[in-house]
Amino acid sequence: MALMQQTPRYAFDLIDALAKTGMLTTEGTLYPLLSRLRRDGLVKTEWRESADGPPRRYYELTAEGRRALTGFKSEWTTFRGAVDAILQEAKKS
Amino acid sequence: MTAPHADQLIDGYLARICAAAHDFPAAARDELLDDMRSHIADARARDSQETDATILNILDRLGEPAVLVAEARERLGIKTQQPERPGLLEIAALVLLLFLWPAGVVLLWLSSQWKTRDKIIGSVFSLGGYPGISLIGLVLAGAGAGHGSRCITVRNAAGDVLQSSCSGTSVLDIIGSVAQTALVIVLFLLPVLTAAYLAIRLRRWHRLETIAA
Repeated sequence: MALMQQTPRYAFDLIDALAKTGMLTTEGTLYPLLSRLRRDGLVKTEWRESADGPPRRYYELTAEGRRALTGFKSEWTTFRGAVDAILQEAKKS
Repeated sequence: MTAPHADQLIDGYLARICAAAHDFPAAARDELLDDMRSHIADARARDSQETDATILNILDRLGEPAVLVAEARERLGIKTQQPERPGLLEIAALVLLLFLWPAGVVLLWLSSQWKTRDKIIGSVFSLGGYPGISLIGLVLAGAGAGHGSRCITVRNAAGDVLQSSCSGTSVLDIIGSVAQTALVIVLFLLPVLTAAYLAIRLRRWHRLETIAA
């Protein structure tokens, strides 16, 4: 979701970006996730013509999606802080 | 350049997804297939020297159809459908329809294995089962008792027969009794035929569903 924060992206583009981080092993599994996000109203989609092939479905965050992302970011920061603290503690002892 | 077996490989892959997602709502399945198609098109567009290996790699990275469909099933909350098979309820419905009609009709309507049209046919043409038919038979017999051969005998005071005229077995009477016998046979066959019809519909419907799957 963070990847589509700035601009609408299409799935293949998202997969490319995720693959670079090494976070995605089976690329196809992103599609059910995107469908789910759409069904939950966190993203909206739009077909757009592409210069080199069939039209592509672009994904864009909705207002609700942005709120969910913000919520996740703060949760994640707290979680990361907590894990870091435990790891630091473990290193000391 | 297009890979020599690109279409076969891709169609085969999509067919496997389609098969694994056979019980999805059509919209969800179509969306998944559309996504796969456009993904494959996008992936192919970036390789100018496409070989069969390129296609196989694209499909490999996409993932096993069964895994993808399982993932979609979980994300979208689609339950695995166990194909319902005709069971005890249906057998009981057919038997009771013949011998304990009201209970048979109730079971017939409770079952999800028949279409409404067949349920209506089953309820009406089983004619109340054999108890119901016996009742109908009794009524018909009562109505038929008035017919038959009638003789009018005129006697004198001493009891000698003066004149005896029988309306006897006229052609009309023969036709009448043949018709009556035929009616009785039809009446007795009808519930069995209805049950047989229902049994056939049961299997046919089931088979069609399996084919659709």
